[in-house]
Amino acid sequence: MPNERYSNLYAKINDALSDSKKSDMLLACMKRGRDTRKVALELLPGGVDFRDDVRKSKERCIENHDTLKKQFIENVEKRGVTVFEAKTGPEVIKYCLDIAQKRGAKNIAKSKSLTTEEIEFNKPIIDAGIDVVETDLGELIIQLVNEKPFHLVFPSVHKMAPEVAKIFSKATGGKVEDDIPSIMKVVRKYLRPIFLNAEIGITGANIGIAETGGICIETNEGNARLVSSIGNCHICVVGMEKIVESIEDAMLMVLAHPVSASGQLPTTYVTWMHGRSPLGEGEGPPRESHIVILDNGRTEMRDDPEPVMKESLYCIRCGACTNICPTFGILGGHKFGYLYPGPMGIGWTAGVHGLKEAADFAQFCISCGLCKDICPAKIDMPMIIAEVKHRDAQKNGYPKVNKVMMGADKAAKLGSATVPFSNIAINNKVLRKVMEKTVGLSADRKLPPFAGTTFMQHFRKRTSKVTDPNREVAFFVDVFADYNDPALGLAAVDALEDLGCKVIVPPQEVSGYPYIAYGDMDNARKTAASNVEKLVPYVRKGIDVVAIEPTASSSLVECYPVLLKQSEDARLLADKTFELFEYLIRIEDETGKTPSGKLAEMFVGKKFGFHCACHQRPLGSGKGAMEWLRRRGAEVQLIETGTCCGMGGTFGLKAGPLGHKLSSRIGEKLFTMFKEAAVDAIVTESSVCSIQLAEGTGLPVYHPLKLLVMGGK
Amino acid sequence: MEYDFAQCFEKLSGVAHKVDSEKAAAEKIATICQEQDAKCIALAGLTESLVSQIEASCSGMTILKEPYASNELPGAIDKADLGITGIAFAMAQSGTMVEVTTNDANRLVSSLPRTHIGILQAEDIVDKYHDGSQRMREVTAQHDSNLVITFISGPSRTGDIELILSLGVHGPASCHAVIIDNQN
Repeated sequence: MPNERYSNLYAKINDALSDSKKSDMLLACMKRGRDTRKVALELLPGGVDFRDDVRKSKERCIENHDTLKKQFIENVEKRGVTVFEAKTGPEVIKYCLDIAQKRGAKNIAKSKSLTTEEIEFNKPIIDAGIDVVETDLGELIIQLVNEKPFHLVFPSVHKMAPEVAKIFSKATGGKVEDDIPSIMKVVRKYLRPIFLNAEIGITGANIGIAETGGICIETNEGNARLVSSIGNCHICVVGMEKIVESIEDAMLMVLAHPVSASGQLPTTYVTWMHGRSPLGEGEGPPRESHIVILDNGRTEMRDDPEPVMKESLYCIRCGACTNICPTFGILGGHKFGYLYPGPMGIGWTAGVHGLKEAADFAQFCISCGLCKDICPAKIDMPMIIAEVKHRDAQKNGYPKVNKVMMGADKAAKLGSATVPFSNIAINNKVLRKVMEKTVGLSADRKLPPFAGTTFMQHFRKRTSKVTDPNREVAFFVDVFADYNDPALGLAAVDALEDLGCKVIVPPQEVSGYPYIAYGDMDNARKTAASNVEKLVPYVRKGIDVVAIEPTASSSLVECYPVLLKQSEDARLLADKTFELFEYLIRIEDETGKTPSGKLAEMFVGKKFGFHCACHQRPLGSGKGAMEWLRRRGAEVQLIETGTCCGMGGTFGLKAGPLGHKLSSRIGEKLFTMFKEAAVDAIVTESSVCSIQLAEGTGLPVYHPLKLLVMGGK
Repeated sequence: MEYDFAQCFEKLSGVAHKVDSEKAAAEKIATICQEQDAKCIALAGLTESLVSQIEASCSGMTILKEPYASNELPGAIDKADLGITGIAFAMAQSGTMVEVTTNDANRLVSSLPRTHIGILQAEDIVDKYHDGSQRMREVTAQHDSNLVITFISGPSRTGDIELILSLGVHGPASCHAVIIDNQN
């Protein structure tokens, strides 16, 4: 394992933690992105359903890419535009340089293009004596200070007005006042001659349309309109994955992109260019247009033996994943990125810049899965990132602490078997310090005690209370309820039995999610296959699987089908696996049974704040648990920042910057919200989130089942 | 119609005006020009009759119109304080005006001046955003060579400094839609 990598990662985290101003601005920007998206979705008929349409369209267009690209090129050429297919970045640069030199052009105006960022286009052109100016304001600001984008959509969001004023004072040689309106006046004046004098305009394209040979360029500023019209030569550099089949596909993308990026439908300007139009009438210099289609690793991404890897090509560069990624919010794009930032940046970097470059920042991903949940193309980023971590580990191995975390179930088993010694050990400060030094488990995390008798042992001795069951349910236990809190598992069984379910506990493994989180795909697949093999015979008999831990439900429902390449059995198990409270509510509604159990005396009249674990967002989002509690008279409200509490499964248990420290910083906003909501206690279904919330807020944290006294008791 | 174009366009910082004739449109344009203190205006993609009406209503101003001489571009249009262009159709749901051009001079008229006014017929407003696809298909089929279609949903905007919305840094700071509805 390259130790240098980890010391770099730690240094980056420590640096980010020492400067909260930057991350506060970034967090505000991300929150605004999420909030405006939410508002736009409310206005959009069908709401989030557009994601299914985008997904289908992208799947189809990437599947048929070769045909569509051929059709696109034919139609583009029919309209008199020259097409160049570039294998690599240097080929693009050489092509453009040749054109510029042939035309004797000295001034190039550019509108924002991530594809040209990807190939680091500007420097070699400028080195060749040609002036290249970014005209998107955010890109211009970072170009003037020679930085990379901090955020995909708002590249200069980390620069406050006074700093920007200084940048333009330097660029214009005059004094620019600190206020934004003054700066904007200067920017308009600064940019105008750049637009007017451009001999070549270079743009990217959000979309290429095979059917028409047209391209779409989306902007809010309108800079791409000027860049693509004034210069007598227009060059568009487009990634090959942007080619779609039809006008309808394009219309969909034109909507999906801004909805996800900035909550607009669509961006202020969308330019659909076909061929090269003249500028005015009469004698003028000849006008030409070029479309450069860039591969740069994309074909290999598409043909990757792991099917999930090609999903990166579905990316429409909206940046929604960067607006929700908990670690990105603290670190920003300079640290959490190579040239492409954020969660999507990991798969893209691996595809176009190399595994090493991607793996260097892939460890910032804590596998919360929120990126997949917000992505307009439903790209399985957590799985792509897991694969990147896995491939890197094949070469470099796993850091010891990650191996320890992947073996957490075995540690819990051992801990349970060695009670009371294990509990003395986890509460002994000296021993914990030793453990921190030797295995990397944070000494400052209060760990839940182990149970001497496991859930499985209890359950075997237990007799069912159901004499006339209306159904059978297979209970999926996972680690915590088995080794740490068997009473919780038993309470879940009680709750199911109260509704007439006969509960069985089939042989099973742990969910194995830590394998995904730390990138051991062999063991992740092995665990998934074993669980599917063990559980699917029950499902085939019509027995539903109910899991108590959100991460376990999510593993079975969301991850196993991907891990097992959509096998019929994995799909079947996924379809018949449910979160406990969603299931309880459903049975309650179906059977018309009155809610059993009541709020324990000590909780009557108390106010509870509910925390939704990230992994249950694509499932029930905790609605079942809240409803279940409300039906029993509890006053419970959802409290959320819209992103993760920072625990990230076992991530927050690790010592140091890439663990406990970063985890706590991520959680700060949520901790404040809970405190400000003046709740008496926090309720969550996740065993790990509860460790984080208890530590961060000082409030008591309960599992929903722990608030109840069950019927008859 | 489920959506009101004017309302959706104004939510995006646009200004919509409804008039009942080309003459009334020309008068509305004259009013906007006065409000903006425009001395020089540029026209593109308008019917001949509307051009004459505007020439009549804005008689004190310098009026630039098609054909634009290639060798004077883009400077000539950059001198205009206000640009007025014809709009092929609009999508109410998204508050989008759709400009169809085969000459880039027309694009400059709607992007260089500080103020842009789009002129559209009420019957050319489709309801939902996706209803626009059919019109896009028709327009594209009519042009087998060069063609630029532009969606315009309000004035030029940026949020690149501290996420504060600023209008008109690159293109028009104000964007008007004058909707001619002969039926009323």
